[in-house]
Amino acid sequence: MPARERWTAVALGLSLALGTVVLTPSLRPAAAQASRPVLRISAIPDQNPEKLNRLYGLVAGELSRQLSVPVKYVPMTDYAAAVTAFRTGDLDLVWFGGLTGVQARLQKPSARVLAQRDIDVSFRSIFIANTRSGLQPVRTIDGLRELRGRRFTFGSENSTSGRLMPQYFLAQAGVKPSQFAGGAPGFSGSHDATIALVQSGAYEAGAVNEQVWRASLHNGKASRAKVMAIWTSPGYPDYHWIAQGNLDARYGQGFTAKLQKAILSWRPSDPEQKVILGLFGAQQFIKATPGEYKRIEQVGREIGKIR
Amino acid sequence: MKPAAPLLPLLPALVLLPMALVLPGLLHGGGWELLGAFAAAALHPSGDPLVLGSLVGGLGTTVGMALLGWAMSLLLGVPLGLLSSRLLWRSLVGTALPAELVRRLLAVPRSIHELIWGLLLLQLVGQQPAVAVLAIAIPFGALVARVVSDLLDALPERNLQGLLAAGTPAPAALLTALGPPLLPGLISYGGYRLECALRSATLLGVFGLGGLGNELLLTLQSLQFRELWSGLWLLLAVMLSLEALVSALRRRWSMPARLALERRQPVGRSSRELVLAAAALVPLLLGVGRALAVDPAALLHWESLPPLPTGGWQAALQLPWLTLVGETVLLTTLAAALAVGGAPLLLLLVAPWPWGRWLLRLVWALGRLWPPPLTALLLLFLFKPSLWIAALALGFHNLGILGRLLLEGVEAAGPEREDALRSGGSGARLALLYGRFSGLARSYLAYGAYRADVILRETVVVGLVAGTGLGSQLRESLSAFAFDQLALLLAAYALLTLLGEDLSDRARRALLRP
Repeated sequence: MPARERWTAVALGLSLALGTVVLTPSLRPAAAQASRPVLRISAIPDQNPEKLNRLYGLVAGELSRQLSVPVKYVPMTDYAAAVTAFRTGDLDLVWFGGLTGVQARLQKPSARVLAQRDIDVSFRSIFIANTRSGLQPVRTIDGLRELRGRRFTFGSENSTSGRLMPQYFLAQAGVKPSQFAGGAPGFSGSHDATIALVQSGAYEAGAVNEQVWRASLHNGKASRAKVMAIWTSPGYPDYHWIAQGNLDARYGQGFTAKLQKAILSWRPSDPEQKVILGLFGAQQFIKATPGEYKRIEQVGREIGKIR
Repeated sequence: MKPAAPLLPLLPALVLLPMALVLPGLLHGGGWELLGAFAAAALHPSGDPLVLGSLVGGLGTTVGMALLGWAMSLLLGVPLGLLSSRLLWRSLVGTALPAELVRRLLAVPRSIHELIWGLLLLQLVGQQPAVAVLAIAIPFGALVARVVSDLLDALPERNLQGLLAAGTPAPAALLTALGPPLLPGLISYGGYRLECALRSATLLGVFGLGGLGNELLLTLQSLQFRELWSGLWLLLAVMLSLEALVSALRRRWSMPARLALERRQPVGRSSRELVLAAAALVPLLLGVGRALAVDPAALLHWESLPPLPTGGWQAALQLPWLTLVGETVLLTTLAAALAVGGAPLLLLLVAPWPWGRWLLRLVWALGRLWPPPLTALLLLFLFKPSLWIAALALGFHNLGILGRLLLEGVEAAGPEREDALRSGGSGARLALLYGRFSGLARSYLAYGAYRADVILRETVVVGLVAGTGLGSQLRESLSAFAFDQLALLLAAYALLTLLGEDLSDRARRALLRP
């Protein structure tokens, strides 16, 4: 065998050997995981990922402590992806919005609605405008007609407070999405993004969720000199925790009830739980039932997001 | 009157005239400050170690997805290419019929953009690292298969017939006669596909399939431009090194360039280096797969789709199909004209200045680098949403790809004729036009025809952002989980791209006819 062929053969052999070495250890952790099922929690990505990572890291720690099971936060990059991951069984407990929660339950009828925040019983959207746009605060819903011909952005396509309900209220005022400047609204992706874009002047107006709007005013991300609220919507039910229907089978009888109790037990008197509730913008969580979301389902059907 | 050959590539640039008329009307200027901040941040990218750490992690994921998707596309594409070669079937069983059948079948996965594959797989199997890899591998594999079979069928058959006539068994004769001449073209094309895979992986990230793309989108959406630029510069460095590596290897192994004027014979190819490189790839790929936690078994974990509502198909048929298709075709035409005509025009414009070409190189590199939806989002800071904005974003991206190719061709064309014209007293622009463009015009336009076909597939990418064409409807249907609408949209896309492919094939054949 000439030298160069020998070299080639050696290299090939080495690479194959290395390949097996690299591949084998990857099989072990999977086997170890099977014995201790991890509770996988997630949330729709409605805010900046840094904020979500901090919040749900804390939630995972708190639930793990209360329930004595390993809990892991799995970040999602897309509203629809969160619904799909819930359907495929890759997530056990998800903080859904009103619309995504309904979509998830329609796709997975065994799912259980566990809890909502005190503020979710009557959640509101805020329409905001750039101060240089010439738009003025309006008293009644009909005032939203001023938005015709303006550059307008929603949040994510599947957001309840950033798209679904705002579009519903706009329709009540007689404003169609095709009547915005350019023939279509923008979809900024998240509430934080909507505030930033309207504040900058890239869009003249937009719709955001009340809780994120208040937080942005509070922490200075939104400057009152550049962006203002022009209309606050009536209340509607929004965010809620939804769990898979098979948790009792996987973690033992009564686990779903224990999980619900744990979430409902969080109080501001506990320092750890106080931080969590603060990030959620709530005083506490309360029980929620599927019936409360019938109205969201109906609006979703009217707008074509639920079929 | 027929325009002179060197002027032909400039004709598509006429699209700039209507653009110049329409764009001022779309300008709202609300975001000038933002654009200024964006530009200023280019010089002051964030150096925060936390930010850089997360960006480098994202970049690693993107590069890893690209590498794995690319390798898998070659593994799929080469055998499928052999299966769809007419020559192979004719030599082995006497009829080319099976080849035709495989070709037709492969046209479908090829006609659908990797982003659609990614979003579809995301719906079917959930958020898995393997989704992005497969999304790249499916359409790329079908593309590689087509190129392999075209290369094979274009090889001269003389050697093969000789071996067969001498009584060599068909498989051995095929390997001996076709293997060595096929390799250079295949490896050259494979290198190009790796560059494409990096761009695709970045784009998939923008739509939430993991990696740096997602961080680019999030930093843009939250207007953190300094962090955005850190990511862009990192990506640029990786992209340029990859391109340099691929073209260095191509030269070293004497593989044909993509826009080659003459086909060089592959002499002195270092087969040992080739095998070594291939051998080094195996552990690298396995390591990357492990680091990304790609689990092929997760892809088998299908969950049935939610039930479709009754009457859904009826409703899906009532979508404004004519408008959607019309917008998609118009978007393709505008973007393709911008990209094909823009590259030679810009090269001519900067011809008199020595630094001009370097500036163009940088602008084009940024064009290749930026996923078109990001460009579209930036443009929305200044313009109202419209089809023209989508075309601008898509055109800019493809201008970066075509421009680089044209420049490579121009520089390889040899200076003799240009020098002769210059010493004859012609200006720099005329000398470039008649000295170098004239020889390249036809092959450049032929490549442009191919690119137009790619652009048609890519319209989905900006449609999702700019609210235009089939792409915008696709996003709505996906987020409403309307699988009946999705099926019809995919069929429309497939049909349209197959028609486009046929048209571009015809144009190419007409242009390359001697």
